[in-house]
Amino acid sequence: MSKASHTTSKSLLTAEHLTWCTDGNVILDDINLAVNHQSFTGILGPNGAGKSSLLRCLYRFVKPEQGVVRFDNQDIWQLHANDYAKHVAVVLQEAPSHFNLTVYDVVALGLIPHKGLFSTANKSDEEKIAQAITQVGLTHKVQQSFEHLSGGEKQRALIARAIVQSPKLLLMDEPTSHLDVRYQIQIMELVKSLGITVIASFHDLNLASAMCDNLMVLNQGKLVVQGTPQEVITAKMLSDVFGVCAHVEQHPQHNVPHISYYYGYKQDDTHSGDEHA
Amino acid sequence: MPNHAITPHSRITAAQSEKVAKTQLNYLSITLVTTFICLLSFFCALSYGAADISFSDVWQSFFPEQTKETGFIDRIIWELRMPRAILAFLAGCGLAISGLILQTVTRNPLADPYLFGISSGASLGVVMLITFTGGMFTGLAPIAAFIGSLLAMVMLMLIAGRRQSQQVESMLLAGVALSFLFSSITNLLLYHTDPQAVTAVLFWTLGSFSRAQWENLLFPTIVISVCITIMLAYRRQLNAMLLGDESATTLGINVNRFRLIMLLLSSLITATLVSMCGGIGFVGLMIPHIVRFFISQGSMYGILLTALVGGIFMLWVDILSRTVLENQELPVGVITAATGSLFFLTLLYFRKNRPN
Repeated sequence: MSKASHTTSKSLLTAEHLTWCTDGNVILDDINLAVNHQSFTGILGPNGAGKSSLLRCLYRFVKPEQGVVRFDNQDIWQLHANDYAKHVAVVLQEAPSHFNLTVYDVVALGLIPHKGLFSTANKSDEEKIAQAITQVGLTHKVQQSFEHLSGGEKQRALIARAIVQSPKLLLMDEPTSHLDVRYQIQIMELVKSLGITVIASFHDLNLASAMCDNLMVLNQGKLVVQGTPQEVITAKMLSDVFGVCAHVEQHPQHNVPHISYYYGYKQDDTHSGDEHA
Repeated sequence: MPNHAITPHSRITAAQSEKVAKTQLNYLSITLVTTFICLLSFFCALSYGAADISFSDVWQSFFPEQTKETGFIDRIIWELRMPRAILAFLAGCGLAISGLILQTVTRNPLADPYLFGISSGASLGVVMLITFTGGMFTGLAPIAAFIGSLLAMVMLMLIAGRRQSQQVESMLLAGVALSFLFSSITNLLLYHTDPQAVTAVLFWTLGSFSRAQWENLLFPTIVISVCITIMLAYRRQLNAMLLGDESATTLGINVNRFRLIMLLLSSLITATLVSMCGGIGFVGLMIPHIVRFFISQGSMYGILLTALVGGIFMLWVDILSRTVLENQELPVGVITAATGSLFFLTLLYFRKNRPN
């Protein structure tokens, strides 16, 4: 079970007693967490557990009722929005439709926190944008409409935008849902290769286990477990939080926990062994 | 696990910047061509009309010392047609960028000052001024129009702004409802006004540039150039709004304040133009769509071209309105509404039938 994390100077981002309610419903309940420099943190939890809400509090979109979020030991609500955006980039799933923005335009949006009103992009900005687009492998699509990209390409373009923002911390809300397996792996490896601190929410527990240094499990607005994948991904946690029966073993390649789910189990619990897949 | 799809190559980066530079050049040439068409349209606007004036006469009127003919043609050009053409151009520019602002900050490609009730709010302001002062149009008309459009905007924000996440959808519905509400109040007021004023007001609500005079042009020119300048300054923020409120927030933008400022600009433009030329609908809807079809809305040229194309379109609408009927002027709003609604329907049809 979670213990209140202590604010240490080596943490890049911390949250203390974070509580957020809407319309009388407690969405986040007294959450304490600390995220270290250069770490990759995954946020897990069933639907409605508060993953997106927690991220929203962290990226300064909603102000929590209680508690404080600190970035580099500074309360994020004391910082100017623009200053926070210079250090923290966010990749969400929202995408524009019916508007003809090119991939280049979308990626160039990453300059916003760093640019004055009338300033035009200079040579080094152009290079930064070109570099980011190359890094995500979208060079051949640079002048295409963002709207006409596939889901994986859109996500890569948004990551390129985040790269241009040159953040210390990258927050991602379910970056890989709706993507093919190949793109899931591709995007995660791309993000890992950036060498910055990442916090991302996940639907796919095996992907999270393979990618993250640290996992946090939310359930009904509470942070119930956190730790390394080995500590967090257990058959007991899967049954307590997600309500599924599963067998946890070691992944043959990288030795992190790997989950096999059991199907067709009913309320009676004999050692449910009837797998279909 | 090796990943072959994402491998950086510096030579690709070079090819890419070449591509970007080429696009910039393309945009520049499109803008230059459009500017040329714009000048040509001005010439046509000065030449066509009830009294036919040849291109060479128009050209010569720019160099007064060479004209040995009567001053009559010069007077038609400089006192009647020139201010009128400039007003038409300004109206086109203003309505097009006003529509562009609305479409961008509400992320609704079908947004238009007309559709959002801002035009009818402005009309109501002016009609109230006329009925209550009992007089003709006074210098107060733009202020009354602005108050009316602000009223519309405030009501829109109050109804739609309660829940941040639903703003976009409910705003459109609220706008349409407000538009009907304001129109009905306007009609009620007109019903109790004396018939002569009604005719004047009716003609004005249908849209016309006939009240164009040199001394009236300064105010809309200032309003529209200031607004375009502000839009150019905030063009990145405007683009960011297209990605959604949350994404824009994470780029350091105070979304609600930014949207409010942009909506105020949009209503200021609309009010200024409504008070001068009456209700001209659908320009704000059409022009940004047409421009967006050719170039990315994200570039600086996107805003400039939207303004230019809007101006050109309106110049030709005005030419049509003066020449279609013999000795009679067709209200401008009738022409824009006819073309606009056809455009709107075509848009809906193709959007519906577009794969994916």
